[in-house]
Amino acid sequence: MFPIYKKELQSFFYTPFAYAMAALFMLLFSLSFSTGIAQIEETNTWAFSFTEMFYSVILYFIFLIPILTMRTFADERKNGTEVLLMTSPVSTAKIVIAKFLANITVYLFMLAGTVVFPIITSMKGEVVVSQLICAYIGIFCWGAMYIALGMLISSFMETPVIAAIVGEVIMFGLLFVDDLANTPFISQYPKLQSVIYAFAAQPRFAYFSEGFIRLSDLVFFASAIIVLLVWTYITIEKRRWNRG
Amino acid sequence: MITIENLTKYYGNNRAVNHISFTINDNEILGFLGPNGAGKSTTMNMIAGYLPMSDGTVTIYGADITKEPGKAKRNIGYLPEIPPVYPDMKVKEYLSFCAGLKRVPRGERKNEIERVMKLLKIKDVEGKLIRNLSKGYKQRVGFAQALLGNPKFLILDEPTVGLDPNQVAEVRAIIKDLKNEHSVIFSSHILSEVSAICDRVVIINKGDIRAIDTIENLERSFVNSLVLHLKVKGSKSKTASIIETTKGVKEITSIDDEGNDIYSFTVQLEGDADAIRDSIMDDCLKNHVSIIEIFTDKPNLENVFIELINRPVKKSGLQELLDETPDESEADAEDQGEEEKEEE
Repeated sequence: MFPIYKKELQSFFYTPFAYAMAALFMLLFSLSFSTGIAQIEETNTWAFSFTEMFYSVILYFIFLIPILTMRTFADERKNGTEVLLMTSPVSTAKIVIAKFLANITVYLFMLAGTVVFPIITSMKGEVVVSQLICAYIGIFCWGAMYIALGMLISSFMETPVIAAIVGEVIMFGLLFVDDLANTPFISQYPKLQSVIYAFAAQPRFAYFSEGFIRLSDLVFFASAIIVLLVWTYITIEKRRWNRG
Repeated sequence: MITIENLTKYYGNNRAVNHISFTINDNEILGFLGPNGAGKSTTMNMIAGYLPMSDGTVTIYGADITKEPGKAKRNIGYLPEIPPVYPDMKVKEYLSFCAGLKRVPRGERKNEIERVMKLLKIKDVEGKLIRNLSKGYKQRVGFAQALLGNPKFLILDEPTVGLDPNQVAEVRAIIKDLKNEHSVIFSSHILSEVSAICDRVVIINKGDIRAIDTIENLERSFVNSLVLHLKVKGSKSKTASIIETTKGVKEITSIDDEGNDIYSFTVQLEGDADAIRDSIMDDCLKNHVSIIEIFTDKPNLENVFIELINRPVKKSGLQELLDETPDESEADAEDQGEEEKEEE
Protein backbone atom coordinates (compact mmCIF):
# COMPACT_ATOMS: atom_id res chain seq x y z
CA MET A 1 0.00 0.00 0.00
CA PHE A 2 2.76 2.42 0.93
CA PRO A 3 4.58 2.15 -2.44
CA ILE A 4 1.40 3.25 -4.23
CA TYR A 5 0.91 6.16 -1.83
CA LYS A 6 4.50 7.20 -2.37
CA LYS A 7 4.27 6.87 -6.13
CA GLU A 8 1.11 9.00 -6.21
CA LEU A 9 2.78 11.70 -4.16
CA GLN A 10 5.82 11.60 -6.42
CA SER A 11 3.62 12.06 -9.45
CA PHE A 12 2.23 15.22 -7.81
CA PHE A 13 5.37 16.65 -6.29
CA TYR A 14 8.06 15.64 -8.81
CA THR A 15 6.08 17.48 -11.45
CA PRO A 16 4.90 21.09 -11.32
CA PHE A 17 1.39 19.76 -10.78
CA ALA A 18 0.96 20.12 -7.02
CA TYR A 19 2.79 23.44 -6.93
CA ALA A 20 0.74 24.92 -9.74
CA MET A 21 -2.43 23.77 -8.00
CA ALA A 22 -1.34 25.19 -4.66
CA ALA A 23 -0.29 28.46 -6.29
CA LEU A 24 -3.60 28.82 -8.08
CA PHE A 25 -5.47 28.05 -4.89
CA MET A 26 -3.41 30.59 -2.95
CA LEU A 27 -4.05 33.21 -5.61
CA LEU A 28 -7.79 32.72 -5.43
CA PHE A 29 -7.69 32.63 -1.66
CA SER A 30 -5.69 35.84 -1.44
CA LEU A 31 -8.04 37.56 -3.84
CA SER A 32 -11.01 36.82 -1.62
CA PHE A 33 -8.92 37.75 1.40
CA SER A 34 -8.11 41.19 0.06
CA THR A 35 -11.67 41.68 -1.07
CA GLY A 36 -12.76 40.74 2.43
CA ILE A 37 -10.47 43.31 3.97
CA ALA A 38 -11.60 45.98 1.57
CA GLN A 39 -15.18 45.44 2.67
CA ILE A 40 -14.43 46.00 6.32
CA GLU A 41 -15.97 49.23 7.45
CA GLU A 42 -14.06 51.71 9.55
CA THR A 43 -16.26 51.07 12.53
CA ASN A 44 -15.44 47.39 12.58
CA THR A 45 -12.38 45.98 14.23
CA TRP A 46 -9.79 43.96 12.34
CA ALA A 47 -11.10 40.91 14.05
CA PHE A 48 -13.08 39.57 11.20
CA SER A 49 -13.96 35.93 11.13
CA PHE A 50 -12.88 33.76 8.26
CA THR A 51 -16.37 32.41 7.89
CA GLU A 52 -17.24 34.25 4.75
CA MET A 53 -13.88 33.68 3.22
CA PHE A 54 -14.02 29.97 3.68
CA TYR A 55 -17.49 30.03 2.31
CA SER A 56 -16.28 31.58 -0.93
CA VAL A 57 -13.26 29.30 -1.05
CA ILE A 58 -15.62 26.39 -1.54
CA LEU A 59 -16.31 27.66 -5.03
CA TYR A 60 -12.66 27.43 -5.97
CA PHE A 61 -12.54 23.87 -4.82
CA ILE A 62 -15.10 22.96 -7.38
CA PHE A 63 -12.56 23.82 -10.02
CA LEU A 64 -9.48 22.43 -8.33
CA ILE A 65 -10.52 19.09 -6.88
CA PRO A 66 -11.54 17.42 -10.13
CA ILE A 67 -8.19 18.46 -11.58
CA LEU A 68 -6.49 16.91 -8.57
CA THR A 69 -8.39 13.64 -8.78
CA MET A 70 -8.88 13.30 -12.52
CA ARG A 71 -5.79 11.17 -13.06
CA THR A 72 -6.30 8.81 -10.13
CA PHE A 73 -7.68 5.87 -12.09
CA ALA A 74 -8.27 7.19 -15.60
CA ASP A 75 -4.54 7.67 -16.08
CA GLU A 76 -3.73 4.13 -14.97
CA ARG A 77 -6.21 2.88 -17.48
CA LYS A 78 -4.82 5.08 -20.23
CA ASN A 79 -1.22 3.94 -19.59
CA GLY A 80 -2.17 0.29 -19.26
CA THR A 81 -0.64 0.27 -15.78
CA GLU A 82 -3.87 -0.84 -14.15
CA VAL A 83 -2.72 -4.38 -14.98
CA LEU A 84 0.45 -3.83 -12.99
CA LEU A 85 -1.44 -2.78 -9.86
CA MET A 86 -4.11 -5.44 -10.20
CA THR A 87 -1.65 -8.29 -10.67
CA SER A 88 0.51 -7.20 -7.74
CA PRO A 89 -0.09 -8.72 -4.32
CA VAL A 90 -1.78 -5.46 -3.23
CA SER A 91 -5.58 -5.74 -3.00
CA THR A 92 -7.92 -3.39 -4.82
CA ALA A 93 -9.22 -1.95 -1.55
CA LYS A 94 -5.69 -0.99 -0.53
CA ILE A 95 -5.06 0.59 -3.90
CA VAL A 96 -8.16 2.77 -3.46
CA ILE A 97 -7.18 3.76 0.08
CA ALA A 98 -3.56 4.52 -0.90
CA LYS A 99 -4.70 6.76 -3.71
CA PHE A 100 -7.26 8.49 -1.51
CA LEU A 101 -4.64 9.21 1.14
CA ALA A 102 -2.25 10.57 -1.48
CA ASN A 103 -4.90 12.94 -2.79
CA ILE A 104 -5.71 14.00 0.77
CA THR A 105 -2.04 14.73 1.38
CA VAL A 106 -1.83 17.04 -1.62
CA TYR A 107 -5.04 18.68 -0.49
CA LEU A 108 -3.61 19.28 2.98
CA PHE A 109 -0.54 20.76 1.33
CA MET A 110 -2.79 23.21 -0.51
CA LEU A 111 -4.71 24.04 2.66
CA ALA A 112 -1.52 24.51 4.66
CA GLY A 113 -0.59 27.44 2.44
CA THR A 114 -3.70 29.33 3.47
CA VAL A 115 -2.69 29.43 7.13
CA VAL A 116 -0.56 32.41 6.20
CA PHE A 117 -3.65 34.63 5.98
CA PRO A 118 -4.86 34.16 9.56
CA ILE A 119 -1.26 34.68 10.67
CA ILE A 120 -1.05 38.00 8.87
CA THR A 121 -4.42 38.99 10.27
CA SER A 122 -3.39 38.11 13.79
CA MET A 123 -0.37 40.40 13.52
CA LYS A 124 -2.47 43.49 12.93
CA GLY A 125 -5.76 42.38 14.39
CA GLU A 126 -7.39 39.55 16.13
CA VAL A 127 -8.35 36.09 14.96
CA VAL A 128 -11.01 33.99 16.60
CA VAL A 129 -8.88 30.88 16.77
CA SER A 130 -11.58 28.43 17.83
CA GLN A 131 -13.80 29.44 14.97
CA LEU A 132 -10.90 29.28 12.57
CA ILE A 133 -10.06 25.74 13.61
CA CYS A 134 -13.69 24.75 13.14
CA ALA A 135 -13.69 26.28 9.69
CA TYR A 136 -10.56 24.35 8.78
CA ILE A 137 -12.07 21.08 10.00
CA GLY A 138 -15.16 21.81 7.94
CA ILE A 139 -13.26 22.64 4.81
CA PHE A 140 -11.11 19.56 5.25
CA CYS A 141 -14.19 17.32 5.56
CA TRP A 142 -15.81 18.91 2.56
CA GLY A 143 -12.66 18.55 0.47
CA ALA A 144 -12.13 14.94 1.52
CA MET A 145 -15.66 14.13 0.44
CA TYR A 146 -15.15 15.81 -2.92
CA ILE A 147 -11.86 13.96 -3.39
CA ALA A 148 -13.65 10.66 -2.84
CA LEU A 149 -16.27 11.80 -5.33
CA GLY A 150 -13.59 12.85 -7.84
CA MET A 151 -11.93 9.45 -7.50
CA LEU A 152 -15.21 7.73 -8.15
CA ILE A 153 -15.70 9.78 -11.30
CA SER A 154 -12.13 9.01 -12.37
CA SER A 155 -12.78 5.31 -11.91
CA PHE A 156 -15.63 5.53 -14.41
CA MET A 157 -13.64 7.31 -17.10
CA GLU A 158 -11.11 6.33 -19.73
CA THR A 159 -9.27 9.63 -19.94
CA PRO A 160 -8.36 12.16 -17.24
CA VAL A 161 -9.71 15.18 -19.12
CA ILE A 162 -13.20 13.77 -19.35
CA ALA A 163 -13.00 12.80 -15.68
CA ALA A 164 -12.15 16.41 -14.84
CA ILE A 165 -14.95 17.91 -16.92
CA VAL A 166 -17.59 15.53 -15.57
CA GLY A 167 -16.25 16.15 -12.06
CA GLU A 168 -16.59 19.92 -12.44
CA VAL A 169 -20.18 19.63 -13.57
CA ILE A 170 -21.27 17.20 -10.86
CA MET A 171 -19.49 18.99 -8.02
CA PHE A 172 -20.80 22.34 -9.14
CA GLY A 173 -24.29 20.88 -9.27
CA LEU A 174 -23.94 19.48 -5.76
CA LEU A 175 -23.38 22.98 -4.40
CA PHE A 176 -26.98 23.78 -5.18
CA VAL A 177 -28.65 20.79 -3.57
CA ASP A 178 -29.91 22.91 -0.67
CA ASP A 179 -31.13 25.57 -3.08
CA LEU A 180 -32.97 22.88 -4.97
CA ALA A 181 -34.58 21.71 -1.75
CA ASN A 182 -35.73 25.25 -1.04
CA THR A 183 -37.34 25.89 -4.41
CA PRO A 184 -41.09 26.59 -4.19
CA PHE A 185 -41.85 23.45 -6.16
CA ILE A 186 -39.98 21.09 -3.85
CA SER A 187 -41.25 22.96 -0.78
CA GLN A 188 -44.73 21.76 -1.61
CA TYR A 189 -43.63 18.28 -0.60
CA PRO A 190 -42.02 18.60 2.83
CA LYS A 191 -41.00 14.94 2.96
CA LEU A 192 -39.21 15.11 -0.38
CA GLN A 193 -37.68 18.39 0.69
CA SER A 194 -36.25 16.89 3.84
CA VAL A 195 -34.81 13.94 1.93
CA ILE A 196 -33.09 16.19 -0.58
CA TYR A 197 -31.95 18.47 2.18
CA ALA A 198 -30.31 15.54 3.93
CA PHE A 199 -27.93 15.22 1.01
CA ALA A 200 -26.91 18.88 1.01
CA ALA A 201 -23.37 19.39 2.23
CA GLN A 202 -23.41 23.18 2.04
CA PRO A 203 -25.56 23.83 5.15
CA ARG A 204 -23.47 21.35 7.12
CA PHE A 205 -20.35 23.16 6.15
CA ALA A 206 -22.00 26.40 7.24
CA TYR A 207 -22.17 25.08 10.81
CA PHE A 208 -18.46 24.33 10.79
CA SER A 209 -17.51 27.73 9.45
CA GLU A 210 -19.60 29.39 12.15
CA GLY A 211 -17.68 27.53 14.80
CA PHE A 212 -19.94 24.58 15.55
CA ILE A 213 -18.73 21.02 15.46
CA ARG A 214 -21.78 18.81 15.36
CA LEU A 215 -21.46 15.05 15.50
CA SER A 216 -24.16 14.63 12.88
CA ASP A 217 -22.16 16.67 10.41
CA LEU A 218 -18.99 14.69 11.05
CA VAL A 219 -20.95 11.49 10.58
CA PHE A 220 -22.42 12.88 7.36
CA PHE A 221 -19.03 13.60 5.82
CA ALA A 222 -17.43 10.39 7.10
CA SER A 223 -20.23 8.22 5.79
CA ALA A 224 -20.27 10.05 2.45
CA ILE A 225 -16.53 9.41 2.09
CA ILE A 226 -16.92 5.72 2.96
CA VAL A 227 -19.82 5.26 0.56
CA LEU A 228 -17.95 6.95 -2.28
CA LEU A 229 -14.75 4.96 -1.70
CA VAL A 230 -16.64 1.68 -1.53
CA TRP A 231 -18.44 2.65 -4.70
CA THR A 232 -15.07 3.37 -6.34
CA TYR A 233 -13.85 -0.05 -5.27
CA ILE A 234 -16.94 -1.71 -6.73
CA THR A 235 -16.60 0.22 -9.97
CA ILE A 236 -13.01 -0.95 -10.44
CA GLU A 237 -13.88 -4.55 -9.67
CA LYS A 238 -16.89 -4.38 -11.94
CA ARG A 239 -14.81 -3.05 -14.81
CA ARG A 240 -12.50 -6.02 -14.51
CA TRP A 241 -15.48 -8.31 -14.96
CA ASN A 242 -16.86 -6.45 -17.92
CA ARG A 243 -13.59 -5.80 -19.72
CA GLY A 244 -13.83 -6.81 -23.33
CA MET B 1 3.48 -26.47 -10.82
CA ILE B 2 0.77 -24.32 -12.30
CA THR B 3 -2.53 -25.96 -13.09
CA ILE B 4 -5.16 -24.44 -15.33
CA GLU B 5 -8.45 -26.25 -15.28
CA ASN B 6 -11.54 -25.66 -17.35
CA LEU B 7 -10.72 -22.00 -17.77
CA THR B 8 -13.58 -20.19 -19.49
CA LYS B 9 -14.28 -16.58 -20.26
CA TYR B 10 -17.46 -15.07 -21.59
CA TYR B 11 -17.75 -11.48 -22.72
CA GLY B 12 -21.49 -11.13 -22.60
CA ASN B 13 -22.69 -13.98 -24.79
CA ASN B 14 -19.43 -14.11 -26.64
CA ARG B 15 -17.18 -16.96 -25.54
CA ALA B 16 -13.55 -15.89 -25.72
CA VAL B 17 -11.99 -18.86 -23.96
CA ASN B 18 -13.66 -22.22 -23.92
CA HIS B 19 -12.91 -24.71 -21.12
CA ILE B 20 -9.19 -24.94 -21.57
CA SER B 21 -7.01 -27.04 -19.27
CA PHE B 22 -3.27 -27.53 -19.19
CA THR B 23 -0.39 -27.53 -16.74
CA ILE B 24 2.97 -25.81 -16.65
CA ASN B 25 5.67 -27.91 -15.02
CA ASP B 26 8.52 -26.60 -12.93
CA ASN B 27 11.45 -25.33 -14.97
CA GLU B 28 9.53 -25.52 -18.18
CA ILE B 29 8.91 -23.00 -20.93
CA LEU B 30 5.46 -23.46 -22.31
CA GLY B 31 4.69 -21.79 -25.61
CA PHE B 32 1.20 -20.42 -26.02
CA LEU B 33 0.54 -20.14 -29.67
CA GLY B 34 -2.35 -18.83 -31.65
CA PRO B 35 -3.36 -16.22 -34.19
CA ASN B 36 -4.42 -12.73 -33.13
CA GLY B 37 -7.76 -12.82 -31.38
CA ALA B 38 -7.42 -16.47 -30.43
CA GLY B 39 -7.89 -15.74 -26.74
CA LYS B 40 -4.22 -15.72 -25.79
CA SER B 41 -4.17 -12.41 -23.93
CA THR B 42 -7.50 -13.12 -22.24
CA THR B 43 -6.12 -16.42 -20.96
CA MET B 44 -2.88 -14.77 -19.81
CA ASN B 45 -4.84 -12.06 -18.01
CA MET B 46 -6.91 -14.68 -16.23
CA ILE B 47 -3.87 -16.69 -15.20
CA ALA B 48 -2.27 -13.52 -13.85
CA GLY B 49 -5.38 -12.72 -11.84
CA TYR B 50 -6.21 -9.52 -13.68
CA LEU B 51 -9.40 -10.71 -15.32
CA PRO B 52 -11.83 -12.80 -13.33
CA MET B 53 -12.76 -16.04 -15.08
CA SER B 54 -16.31 -17.05 -15.90
CA ASP B 55 -15.52 -20.62 -14.93
CA GLY B 56 -12.59 -22.82 -14.01
CA THR B 57 -9.60 -22.54 -11.73
CA VAL B 58 -6.00 -21.41 -11.89
CA THR B 59 -3.74 -22.84 -9.21
CA ILE B 60 -0.27 -21.40 -8.80
CA TYR B 61 1.99 -23.47 -6.57
CA GLY B 62 -0.98 -24.63 -4.56
CA ALA B 63 -2.67 -21.23 -4.23
CA ASP B 64 -5.92 -20.61 -6.08
CA ILE B 65 -5.74 -17.23 -7.83
CA THR B 66 -9.31 -16.26 -6.88
CA LYS B 67 -9.33 -17.65 -3.35
CA GLU B 68 -5.86 -16.64 -2.23
CA PRO B 69 -4.92 -13.87 -4.66
CA GLY B 70 -2.24 -12.36 -2.44
CA LYS B 71 -0.40 -15.63 -2.01
CA ALA B 72 -0.74 -16.66 -5.64
CA LYS B 73 0.25 -13.28 -7.05
CA ARG B 74 3.46 -13.21 -5.04
CA ASN B 75 4.75 -16.02 -7.24
CA ILE B 76 3.83 -14.32 -10.49
CA GLY B 77 5.82 -12.00 -12.71
CA TYR B 78 3.63 -10.68 -15.48
CA LEU B 79 4.53 -8.83 -18.63
CA PRO B 80 1.28 -7.88 -20.38
CA GLU B 81 0.99 -7.23 -24.09
CA ILE B 82 1.46 -3.49 -23.57
CA PRO B 83 4.28 -2.93 -21.07
CA PRO B 84 2.67 -1.40 -17.96
CA VAL B 85 5.01 1.54 -17.54
CA TYR B 86 4.41 5.07 -16.27
CA PRO B 87 5.63 7.51 -18.94
CA ASP B 88 6.39 10.18 -16.34
CA MET B 89 8.72 8.04 -14.27
CA LYS B 90 12.40 7.40 -14.67
CA VAL B 91 13.42 3.81 -15.30
CA LYS B 92 15.08 3.28 -11.95
CA GLU B 93 12.30 5.09 -10.10
CA TYR B 94 9.76 2.88 -11.83
CA LEU B 95 11.57 -0.31 -10.97
CA SER B 96 11.95 0.80 -7.40
CA PHE B 97 8.18 1.41 -7.23
CA CYS B 98 7.51 -2.03 -8.69
CA ALA B 99 9.91 -3.66 -6.24
CA GLY B 100 7.94 -2.11 -3.39
CA LEU B 101 4.67 -3.16 -4.95
CA LYS B 102 5.90 -6.74 -5.22
CA ARG B 103 7.06 -6.67 -1.60
CA VAL B 104 10.73 -7.14 -2.29
CA PRO B 105 12.32 -6.66 1.17
CA ARG B 106 13.69 -3.14 1.57
CA GLY B 107 17.28 -4.25 2.04
CA GLU B 108 17.35 -6.32 -1.13
CA ARG B 109 15.63 -3.81 -3.39
CA LYS B 110 18.73 -2.04 -4.61
CA ASN B 111 20.55 -5.24 -5.57
CA GLU B 112 17.43 -6.67 -7.13
CA ILE B 113 16.92 -3.60 -9.32
CA GLU B 114 20.57 -3.69 -10.37
CA ARG B 115 20.25 -7.37 -11.19
CA VAL B 116 17.26 -7.02 -13.52
CA MET B 117 18.66 -3.90 -15.16
CA LYS B 118 21.86 -5.75 -15.90
CA LEU B 119 20.00 -8.79 -17.16
CA LEU B 120 17.93 -6.80 -19.63
CA LYS B 121 20.70 -4.34 -20.49
CA ILE B 122 18.78 -1.23 -19.51
CA LYS B 123 21.40 0.11 -17.10
CA ASP B 124 22.37 2.80 -19.63
CA VAL B 125 18.85 4.32 -19.56
CA GLU B 126 18.22 4.09 -15.79
CA GLY B 127 18.03 7.88 -15.40
CA LYS B 128 15.83 8.50 -18.44
CA LEU B 129 12.14 9.20 -18.43
CA ILE B 130 10.27 6.18 -19.73
CA ARG B 131 8.30 8.54 -21.99
CA ASN B 132 11.48 9.16 -24.00
CA LEU B 133 12.46 5.54 -24.48
CA SER B 134 12.08 3.61 -27.72
CA LYS B 135 9.54 0.84 -27.92
CA GLY B 136 12.19 -1.82 -27.55
CA TYR B 137 13.50 -0.25 -24.36
CA LYS B 138 10.00 0.19 -22.95
CA GLN B 139 9.36 -3.47 -23.62
CA ARG B 140 12.54 -4.40 -21.78
CA VAL B 141 11.68 -2.15 -18.84
CA GLY B 142 8.33 -3.93 -18.65
CA PHE B 143 10.15 -7.25 -18.77
CA ALA B 144 12.52 -6.14 -16.00
CA GLN B 145 9.49 -5.32 -13.86
CA ALA B 146 8.18 -8.87 -14.30
CA LEU B 147 11.49 -10.33 -13.11
CA LEU B 148 11.67 -8.23 -9.93
CA GLY B 149 11.57 -10.27 -6.78
CA ASN B 150 12.50 -13.38 -8.74
CA PRO B 151 8.95 -14.83 -8.94
CA LYS B 152 8.81 -18.55 -9.65
CA PHE B 153 6.25 -18.22 -12.41
CA LEU B 154 6.57 -15.84 -15.33
CA ILE B 155 3.77 -14.90 -17.70
CA LEU B 156 5.11 -13.23 -20.80
CA ASP B 157 2.59 -11.97 -23.32
CA GLU B 158 4.33 -11.52 -26.65
CA PRO B 159 7.57 -10.24 -25.12
CA THR B 160 9.41 -9.86 -28.40
CA VAL B 161 6.86 -7.74 -30.25
CA GLY B 162 8.33 -4.46 -31.42
CA LEU B 163 11.94 -5.41 -30.85
CA ASP B 164 14.60 -5.35 -33.54
CA PRO B 165 16.05 -8.71 -34.65
CA ASN B 166 19.09 -8.27 -32.46
CA GLN B 167 17.00 -7.54 -29.37
CA VAL B 168 14.67 -10.41 -30.20
CA ALA B 169 17.63 -12.79 -30.11
CA GLU B 170 18.75 -11.29 -26.79
CA VAL B 171 15.33 -11.56 -25.20
CA ARG B 172 14.96 -15.14 -26.40
CA ALA B 173 18.31 -15.99 -24.87
CA ILE B 174 17.17 -14.43 -21.58
CA ILE B 175 13.95 -16.43 -21.60
CA LYS B 176 15.90 -19.62 -22.27
CA ASP B 177 18.14 -18.86 -19.30
CA LEU B 178 15.13 -18.21 -17.08
CA LYS B 179 14.20 -21.86 -17.42
CA ASN B 180 16.78 -22.80 -14.81
CA GLU B 181 14.89 -21.14 -12.00
CA HIS B 182 11.41 -20.40 -13.28
CA SER B 183 8.37 -21.79 -14.99
CA VAL B 184 7.46 -19.68 -17.96
CA ILE B 185 4.37 -19.35 -20.08
CA PHE B 186 5.14 -17.40 -23.14
CA SER B 187 2.68 -16.39 -25.82
CA SER B 188 3.40 -15.62 -29.40
CA HIS B 189 1.85 -15.79 -32.80
CA ILE B 190 5.22 -16.52 -34.37
CA LEU B 191 5.76 -20.22 -34.66
CA SER B 192 9.51 -20.21 -35.24
CA GLU B 193 9.99 -18.25 -32.03
CA VAL B 194 8.04 -20.75 -30.01
CA SER B 195 9.77 -23.72 -31.59
CA ALA B 196 13.14 -22.13 -30.85
CA ILE B 197 12.73 -21.80 -27.10
CA CYS B 198 9.78 -23.77 -25.82
CA ASP B 199 9.66 -27.28 -24.47
CA ARG B 200 6.00 -27.74 -25.16
CA VAL B 201 3.37 -25.76 -27.00
CA VAL B 202 -0.29 -25.15 -26.47
CA ILE B 203 -1.97 -24.15 -29.70
CA ILE B 204 -5.18 -22.22 -29.30
CA ASN B 205 -7.64 -20.72 -31.72
CA LYS B 206 -10.99 -19.06 -31.11
CA GLY B 207 -10.80 -20.01 -27.46
CA ASP B 208 -10.28 -23.72 -28.03
CA ILE B 209 -7.14 -25.73 -27.51
CA ARG B 210 -6.10 -27.33 -30.78
CA ALA B 211 -3.03 -29.19 -29.57
CA ILE B 212 -0.79 -29.60 -26.56
CA ASP B 213 2.45 -31.36 -27.36
CA THR B 214 6.15 -30.98 -27.91
CA ILE B 215 7.19 -29.42 -31.19
CA GLU B 216 8.87 -32.67 -32.28
CA ASN B 217 5.75 -34.72 -31.75
CA LEU B 218 3.59 -32.25 -33.59
CA GLU B 219 5.92 -32.30 -36.54
CA ARG B 220 6.19 -36.06 -36.53
CA SER B 221 2.46 -36.62 -36.51
CA PHE B 222 2.11 -34.59 -39.64
CA VAL B 223 5.21 -35.59 -41.53
CA ASN B 224 3.77 -38.87 -42.76
CA SER B 225 0.70 -37.32 -44.20
CA LEU B 226 0.83 -35.46 -47.45
CA VAL B 227 -1.41 -32.68 -48.58
CA LEU B 228 -2.84 -32.23 -52.04
CA HIS B 229 -3.95 -28.82 -53.24
CA LEU B 230 -6.40 -28.79 -56.07
CA LYS B 231 -8.02 -25.84 -57.78
CA VAL B 232 -10.77 -26.58 -60.26
CA LYS B 233 -13.36 -24.82 -62.33
CA GLY B 234 -16.66 -26.68 -62.38
CA SER B 235 -19.01 -28.40 -60.04
CA LYS B 236 -18.06 -28.42 -56.39
CA SER B 237 -19.99 -31.54 -55.43
CA LYS B 238 -18.83 -33.48 -58.47
CA THR B 239 -15.19 -32.74 -57.72
CA ALA B 240 -15.70 -33.62 -54.10
CA SER B 241 -17.16 -36.98 -54.95
CA ILE B 242 -14.29 -37.67 -57.36
CA ILE B 243 -11.77 -36.94 -54.65
CA GLU B 244 -13.66 -38.91 -52.05
CA THR B 245 -13.81 -42.02 -54.19
CA THR B 246 -10.14 -41.94 -55.11
CA LYS B 247 -8.11 -44.54 -53.28
CA GLY B 248 -5.54 -43.15 -50.87
CA VAL B 249 -7.49 -40.02 -49.95
CA LYS B 250 -7.76 -39.63 -46.20
CA GLU B 251 -10.07 -36.65 -46.02
CA ILE B 252 -10.92 -33.31 -47.53
CA THR B 253 -9.85 -30.74 -45.01
CA SER B 254 -11.12 -27.60 -46.67
CA ILE B 255 -13.03 -26.29 -49.64
CA ASP B 256 -12.77 -22.64 -50.57
CA ASP B 257 -15.11 -20.91 -52.95
CA GLU B 258 -13.02 -18.50 -54.99
CA GLY B 259 -15.84 -17.23 -57.16
CA ASN B 260 -16.62 -17.82 -60.84
CA ASP B 261 -17.16 -21.52 -60.16
CA ILE B 262 -13.58 -21.92 -59.04
CA TYR B 263 -13.01 -24.01 -55.93
CA SER B 264 -9.84 -24.95 -54.16
CA PHE B 265 -9.65 -28.16 -52.21
CA THR B 266 -7.15 -29.21 -49.59
CA VAL B 267 -6.93 -32.95 -49.30
CA GLN B 268 -5.03 -35.18 -46.93
CA LEU B 269 -3.42 -38.18 -48.56
CA GLU B 270 -2.01 -41.50 -47.52
CA GLY B 271 0.38 -43.56 -49.61
CA ASP B 272 1.74 -42.83 -53.07
CA ALA B 273 1.04 -39.17 -53.73
CA ASP B 274 1.96 -39.21 -57.41
CA ALA B 275 -0.40 -42.08 -58.20
CA ILE B 276 -3.24 -40.44 -56.32
CA ARG B 277 -2.64 -37.16 -58.08
CA ASP B 278 -2.66 -38.80 -61.49
CA SER B 279 -5.81 -40.71 -60.67
CA ILE B 280 -7.62 -37.57 -59.57
CA MET B 281 -6.48 -35.72 -62.70
CA ASP B 282 -7.78 -38.52 -64.93
CA ASP B 283 -11.14 -38.64 -63.20
CA CYS B 284 -11.54 -34.89 -63.38
CA LEU B 285 -10.86 -34.87 -67.12
CA LYS B 286 -13.36 -37.66 -67.64
CA ASN B 287 -16.01 -35.74 -65.74
CA HIS B 288 -15.33 -32.44 -67.51
CA VAL B 289 -13.98 -30.68 -64.48
CA SER B 290 -11.14 -28.42 -65.59
CA ILE B 291 -8.11 -28.36 -63.33
CA ILE B 292 -6.49 -24.99 -62.79
CA GLU B 293 -3.89 -26.06 -60.31
CA ILE B 294 -2.82 -29.32 -58.69
CA PHE B 295 0.17 -30.09 -56.52
CA THR B 296 1.15 -32.14 -53.52
CA ASP B 297 2.86 -30.62 -50.51
CA LYS B 298 4.75 -31.91 -47.52
CA PRO B 299 3.59 -30.18 -44.38
CA ASN B 300 6.31 -28.16 -42.65
CA LEU B 301 5.94 -26.73 -39.18
CA GLU B 302 4.23 -23.66 -40.52
CA ASN B 303 1.68 -25.83 -42.30
CA VAL B 304 1.18 -27.87 -39.17
CA PHE B 305 0.37 -24.69 -37.29
CA ILE B 306 -2.00 -23.35 -39.92
CA GLU B 307 -3.59 -26.76 -40.23
CA LEU B 308 -4.03 -27.05 -36.49
CA ILE B 309 -5.57 -23.66 -35.95
CA ASN B 310 -7.89 -23.99 -38.92
CA ARG B 311 -8.98 -27.47 -38.15
CA PRO B 312 -12.55 -27.47 -36.86
CA VAL B 313 -12.86 -28.63 -33.29
CA LYS B 314 -15.38 -31.25 -34.23
CA LYS B 315 -14.40 -32.79 -37.53
CA SER B 316 -17.14 -31.91 -39.96
CA GLY B 317 -18.25 -34.38 -42.55
CA LEU B 318 -17.95 -33.80 -46.24
CA GLN B 319 -21.49 -32.52 -46.56
CA GLU B 320 -20.81 -29.90 -43.94
CA LEU B 321 -17.71 -28.76 -45.77
CA LEU B 322 -19.64 -28.54 -49.01
CA ASP B 323 -22.39 -26.48 -47.46
CA GLU B 324 -20.02 -24.20 -45.73
CA THR B 325 -19.28 -20.98 -47.50
CA PRO B 326 -15.87 -19.59 -46.58
CA ASP B 327 -16.43 -17.40 -43.58
CA GLU B 328 -14.42 -14.50 -42.34
CA SER B 329 -12.48 -16.42 -39.77
CA GLU B 330 -10.90 -18.66 -42.36
CA ALA B 331 -9.86 -15.67 -44.40
CA ASP B 332 -8.39 -14.18 -41.23
CA ALA B 333 -6.45 -17.30 -40.47
CA GLU B 334 -4.96 -17.22 -43.93
CA ASP B 335 -3.97 -13.59 -43.56
CA GLN B 336 -2.43 -14.54 -40.31
CA GLY B 337 -0.36 -17.22 -41.94
CA GLU B 338 0.87 -14.77 -44.53
CA GLU B 339 1.75 -12.21 -41.92
CA GLU B 340 3.83 -14.71 -40.12
CA LYS B 341 5.74 -15.63 -43.21
CA GLU B 342 6.45 -11.96 -43.75
CA GLU B 343 7.60 -11.48 -40.20
CA GLU B 344 9.95 -14.37 -40.44
